[in-house]
Amino acid sequence: MSEQIREQISAFLDGELPSSETELLLKRLARDAQLRESFGRYALIGEACRGSPHEHLTRGLSARINRAIDGEATPAGGSVHRGRARRWWHPVAGAAVAAGVAAVAVVALQQRAVSPSVRPGVAMVAQNIAAAHNKEPVMYTTPAPAALGEAPAALPAARLTNYVFAHSKYSSVLGQSNVLSGLLTAADAEPTPAAAETRSAP
Amino acid sequence: MTKPDKRAGWLIPCAVVGVLALGSPEASRGADDPRDWLAKMNQALATLNYDGTFFHLTEGRVETMRIVHRVRGGQVAERLQSLDGSGREFVRNNDNLTCYLPDQHTVLVEPRQGHGPFLGSLPRFGADADEFYRIESLPATRVLGRAARVIAVTPKDQFRFGYRLWLDEKTAMPLKTQLCDSHGQVIEQILFARLEMPESIPDSDLAPAVHTEGMRWVRQGPALDMAHDNALAALSAFRASQLPPGFRLTVTGAQTLGEASVPASHLVYSDGLATVSVFVEAGTDSKPQAPMQGLAKVGSGYAFSTVIQGHQVTAVGEVPAQTVEFIAHSVTSLPR
Repeated sequence: MSEQIREQISAFLDGELPSSETELLLKRLARDAQLRESFGRYALIGEACRGSPHEHLTRGLSARINRAIDGEATPAGGSVHRGRARRWWHPVAGAAVAAGVAAVAVVALQQRAVSPSVRPGVAMVAQNIAAAHNKEPVMYTTPAPAALGEAPAALPAARLTNYVFAHSKYSSVLGQSNVLSGLLTAADAEPTPAAAETRSAP
Repeated sequence: MTKPDKRAGWLIPCAVVGVLALGSPEASRGADDPRDWLAKMNQALATLNYDGTFFHLTEGRVETMRIVHRVRGGQVAERLQSLDGSGREFVRNNDNLTCYLPDQHTVLVEPRQGHGPFLGSLPRFGADADEFYRIESLPATRVLGRAARVIAVTPKDQFRFGYRLWLDEKTAMPLKTQLCDSHGQVIEQILFARLEMPESIPDSDLAPAVHTEGMRWVRQGPALDMAHDNALAALSAFRASQLPPGFRLTVTGAQTLGEASVPASHLVYSDGLATVSVFVEAGTDSKPQAPMQGLAKVGSGYAFSTVIQGHQVTAVGEVPAQTVEFIAHSVTSLPR
C-alpha cells in the first residue's frame, strides 16, 4: 500500500478527506480486497490510537495497543511526512508494526466473540417472568467469565438467515442495523459444515 | 413509537430515540440534551431522503454498502446493498421486505405489518432505563468534514450492547455509529463515506440490481393457517422462564420460517432497546431438518440454538452471545 493511500485512509478516518478524494478511495476499495482488509485494520488501530471520545470506555484496548506500540523500535530514519499533517498511524509506521498491533485488536475482539456460557440458575439469579409478571428483578449478579474452549458452532446458513430475517421486523430499528448488515456480509452467510446440523440434542 | 420510526433505519438507532427520548424521566431538558438529539436524529431518518455509501467495519473486516431511503407522498422505500461483498440486497417498501440472496439463489419475502403492533408494542423506556443504560453527550468533533455531536448510550451490564453516535450538527443525520460492548470496546462501526440528501430519488435507485432469473422465491411471515392450530397450541406453552434483567416479553405469535410446512412459535423479548427473538419449533422427528445445537454470530448480534423438551429453540438478537444463550436455555413449557 502506497504512502499516498495510507494518507488517504488516515485522513478519511479522521474525517478530513475531501469528497473528491473520498470518491477515489471508495473506488479503490471496491476493487481491491486487500486494501479493504488494510482499511479495516487501520480503522481498528486508528480508533484505539486516537482514543475514544469517552476515554475510559476504551482504556483496555488502547492500553494494549499502546503497549504494543511502545514495544516496537522506531523505524529507521523515522517517518517522512509529506502533504497532510501527521496522522494517527504515523506513530505505528511500518507495516509489520501495524499488522502486529492490528492483530492485538482483532484478537481482542475475537476473544470476546467466544461466548461465555451463562445458563439460568447457574451463574446468576435473573428475572422469572412467570412469577414476576414483568416486574424488574430485585437483584441479580453479573455473569461469570467465559468458559474457555467453548467456541461458537456455526448454524446452517440458510436456516440462520430465516431466523434473522424473521427477527429483523420485530427487532428495534437499532437492532436491524446490526442484524441486517450482518446478513449482507458474505463471510457470515457462507454455508456452514453439517456438524451443527447433525449434532444430536443433549 | 410512531409508525414512521419503523421505516427509518436500516442503519441507525431510531429506536434509541423512540424509546429513550420519549421515556426521559426528566421533566425539562436543555437544547443540548442527548435525548433531544436522538429525537432529532430519529426525525431526520424518518422524514428525509438520503443516499449514502458507508463502510461497515467489524473484526478488522470492512464492507462497503449503499443505503437509499426515500419518503414520497407518505410512502417509504429503502434499499440496502452490499457493494463489494455478498451481492445481497434488501429492498423495503410499504408492503414487503425483500431479501435478495444471490449466493443462496433465494429471494426471501416478508410481508410488512405496517399496522401491526410489534414496534408500537415495545415498552417505552422510562425511568427504569437508567438502570440499564447511561445516555450522555461527549465532546463534539468532525466527521465527513462536518461538525458532529457525539452521543453515547452505554450499557451498565454485559447483557446488552451500547452505541456511540456522531450526528451531523445541521441535519442530525448520523455520520458514524459504533456498537460497543459493556466495556466500551468497539464491536462494529458504520462510517459514512458519502451522504447526500437529495430533494428526490428516482425509482431506479431503489430497484434491486440482483438478477432473479432461476432464483427460488420464499415467502415467510405470520402463520395464518388454522390447520396448524393444535401444533401452535402446544408451542404456545413455551416461554423463557428466566430473563436477563430488564427484558420483558413484548410479542407472541406464530411464524413460518423459510419453506417449513409447520409454523414456529415466535416470542420477542426486549429491554426497550435491544430485542431477542425466540423461535420454538415442533418436535424434530417430523421435520426434514436435523436438530441444531450451537452459537452463531450474525453481524454484531448472535443466534443460539438448542433442543429443549424435543423442540428446537433458537434465540436471535442484537445482543451479546451470553444473552441469547441465557434466554434460549431458560425456555421451557410452562404450566397454564
